[in-house]
Amino acid sequence: MSADQDISEEGRRRLHFGFYLSGAAHVGLIGWLLIGPLFQVEPLPFDVTTVTTISEADYAALSGQVAPEEPAPEVVPEVAPTVPDAPEEPAPPAAEDTPPPAPVEESPAPVTPPEPVEEPPAPAPEALPEVPEPPAPVTPPDDIPPPEPAPPADEDVAVVLPEVTPRPQPRPAPRVAPEPIAPPEPEVVIEDTTQDAVVAEEEAPTPEPQEEQEAAAEEEATSEIVTEADEAPSGAPERSVRPRGRPRTPTAVAEAPTESPAETPAETPTPATPAPAPEDTADAVADALAEALGGSSDPTPAPAAAPSGPPLTAGERENLRLAVQDCWVIDVGSAAARVTVVVTMEMEQSGRVAANSIRLAGSDGGDARATEVAFQAARRAIIRCQKDGYALPVDKYDQWRQIEMTFNPEKVSR
Amino acid sequence: MSVKHPVTQVLTAPALTAQGLTAKSLTVLCAALAVLMAGLLALPAKAAPLRIEITEGVVEPLPFAVPDFIPENAAAGEWGNRLAQVVADDLNGTGLFIQTPQDAFISRPTSFAAPVQYNDWKAINVQALIMGAVTVGDGGQLTVKFRVYDVFSGQELGKGLQFQGTTEGWRRMAHKVADAVYSRITGESGYFDSRVVYVSETGPKDDRKKRLAIMDYDGANVQYLTDSSSIVLAPRFSPTGDRVLYTSYATGFPRIHVLDVGNTQSRILESQTGVMSFAPRFAPNGQTAVFSISEGANTDIFTMDLASGTTRRLTNTPAIETAPSYSPDGSRIVFESDRSGSQQLYIMPAGGGEAERISFGPGRYGTPVWSPRGDLIAFTKQHKGRFHIGVMRTDGSEERLLTASFLDEGPTWAPNGRVIMFTRETQGASGQASLYSVDVSGRSLRRVRTPDAASDPSWGPLQ
Repeated sequence: MSADQDISEEGRRRLHFGFYLSGAAHVGLIGWLLIGPLFQVEPLPFDVTTVTTISEADYAALSGQVAPEEPAPEVVPEVAPTVPDAPEEPAPPAAEDTPPPAPVEESPAPVTPPEPVEEPPAPAPEALPEVPEPPAPVTPPDDIPPPEPAPPADEDVAVVLPEVTPRPQPRPAPRVAPEPIAPPEPEVVIEDTTQDAVVAEEEAPTPEPQEEQEAAAEEEATSEIVTEADEAPSGAPERSVRPRGRPRTPTAVAEAPTESPAETPAETPTPATPAPAPEDTADAVADALAEALGGSSDPTPAPAAAPSGPPLTAGERENLRLAVQDCWVIDVGSAAARVTVVVTMEMEQSGRVAANSIRLAGSDGGDARATEVAFQAARRAIIRCQKDGYALPVDKYDQWRQIEMTFNPEKVSR
Repeated sequence: MSVKHPVTQVLTAPALTAQGLTAKSLTVLCAALAVLMAGLLALPAKAAPLRIEITEGVVEPLPFAVPDFIPENAAAGEWGNRLAQVVADDLNGTGLFIQTPQDAFISRPTSFAAPVQYNDWKAINVQALIMGAVTVGDGGQLTVKFRVYDVFSGQELGKGLQFQGTTEGWRRMAHKVADAVYSRITGESGYFDSRVVYVSETGPKDDRKKRLAIMDYDGANVQYLTDSSSIVLAPRFSPTGDRVLYTSYATGFPRIHVLDVGNTQSRILESQTGVMSFAPRFAPNGQTAVFSISEGANTDIFTMDLASGTTRRLTNTPAIETAPSYSPDGSRIVFESDRSGSQQLYIMPAGGGEAERISFGPGRYGTPVWSPRGDLIAFTKQHKGRFHIGVMRTDGSEERLLTASFLDEGPTWAPNGRVIMFTRETQGASGQASLYSVDVSGRSLRRVRTPDAASDPSWGPLQ
């Protein structure tokens, strides 16, 4: 606001000075014409100041610049949004579409060229009425700092300012700037009170160095705002697919060689989905599996494997534990009752222990003789209670084909 | 403002194809890696055994069968049944075994060398089978051999063993067979072929006659070592079982005697005249005796070299300190003392010195005896008008009371440290003392049959 006031005062001062000067000259002239002959004296020389009014285009033409066709510069609406890029000073407009208006001209040189102004003689009185009111400077947006005022012109030069166009209204354009407009720097306010300088603590926690992140790709700006309603389908599934069932384990029935994907496209009626991808993936998985197992990628049928399945449930394990512990006879007063033995065994599919497969895998807490006795007791317990075979699920045979049983009499011996 | 970035829409067709191929390749690669990892993880998982931990079991006697020993000649006809019966009684008496009656047998062995029909024994839940044979040679020479089988594992436990002796010693031979069977099944040495010296009592309480007697551990073959002309107390076997220390009032004053078991000759240990000495016990080396001497109102513990008669004071306090017992290695002595105001158990070095109290429970503790294993100390405890036989660790921890009655006292350990024999006296004017045995676990409390009332047992070593 202070800049606007300065401009008005300056303008008014110039106008008043010219007005008084012109008035004095006219009064003098009239007086000389009236009383001059009476004295018949040699007229005193006096200086005459010629005032002329030229446009910027004429000035530009005189000074060798290219004169625009349009004498009245018009602020191009596109210019305004670009101003924030240079908040201190208005950005220089493009040469082809922006005539150099004084208020927005970057260089004040065209405004104050005294030599060209003095040359063209022009009657001053005629020009005075045409002097328009000092134009209000182009008000930049609120967040744009005002441009620097033009340096004061010479006092004896009156310059007709170019016609000022009304403040351009921003044209509604669906343009999305790739970056937000940086806010202006806050004004510095000097406080009355002084504050002590902050002293860094001795053991102030140093901020952890943040990992450098690669600069993400700049968001792409578009020339149009595409609403969701107008967005074309992206091809993503609109709802989740029901999960498939657990893949079956290889069984004797599944030993048939798998058909190649080319032979079974008709059996998979999924035209809407990209059918080849899962099949290719399946082939790749099969190849990877074959490679992992050391075989070739040929889909040759694997030999019949023993039935397997998910791990034994807690109940199945508990049944086995209870069955064995019912036959584990502990001599609480013996040294063997302080020995923990680990026994391994091979199991048959019938649930019986394979003959002569019970081995002592480890022991803790006693000498060799006590360990041997503890092992014998464990072996008797395992064999005695198997009867016709432990009740173990046959389909999970792989899970209990080998059993490692620990006989820990700590609780019993107390 | 919601701004969409339809990147895929601006991709050209070739770009779309290349992108799709890249995505598919990545998918395949990821799937292959996943399968590879799954395979690697599945292989060891498949090989890992099923792990089960058994933390509870059953405490019950092990069923065994001992058919009559097969007589291998005509003279051995009657011995087969006798031997088998003693072996069965020995094992049954432990509480760890239970005999399957012969009536339940499906088949009977006819030859010591015949293969064992395991299925026949499994069918009647026999876990241990004892097969024996006996031969009586000319001159009454008895030959006994046996084998032990683990029926369910179908294996023989150990190797066959044979003993030779006379027909007079047939019981000892049967005990030795039982010891061998016991050892092979439990892993511990047996205690059947051992003897016990004790005080045999006859007559009413107000006129009780006492004399030293010796018997097999099961009460058989009782022999008297002294007459009942004088009171005898607290006999103690030597480590080798050839001598017995005991207290006798033959001189009108309690004095320690040492008796030769072989010839029943005894002598008084050298000590000061007019001084009461009692509660003797052999050191593990058999060359030293530890005992108590009472002088006035004070009783202290001394040792004596049996060869030279040299005594040495171990304690010197105004308290009553008695009932010393050596640790198996002979380095320490446990004894009872009332130096704290009540009768408690203490342990001191074998050469004397500062004693450490190990009993802190309520009641009074006495007659401590160190286990042959060295891990436990048996004692008598009096609490709330009742007597108990108990055991505790040598540091006083894990105290367990095994018995409770009107009067239980005087524990003695079996040579294997597994069984404790003690005296139990019934209440009343007609009450009598008798010998009982109990397993160190507190199970299998049994009375030892003796011809007369019995007290103060001392279990001797294996013969």
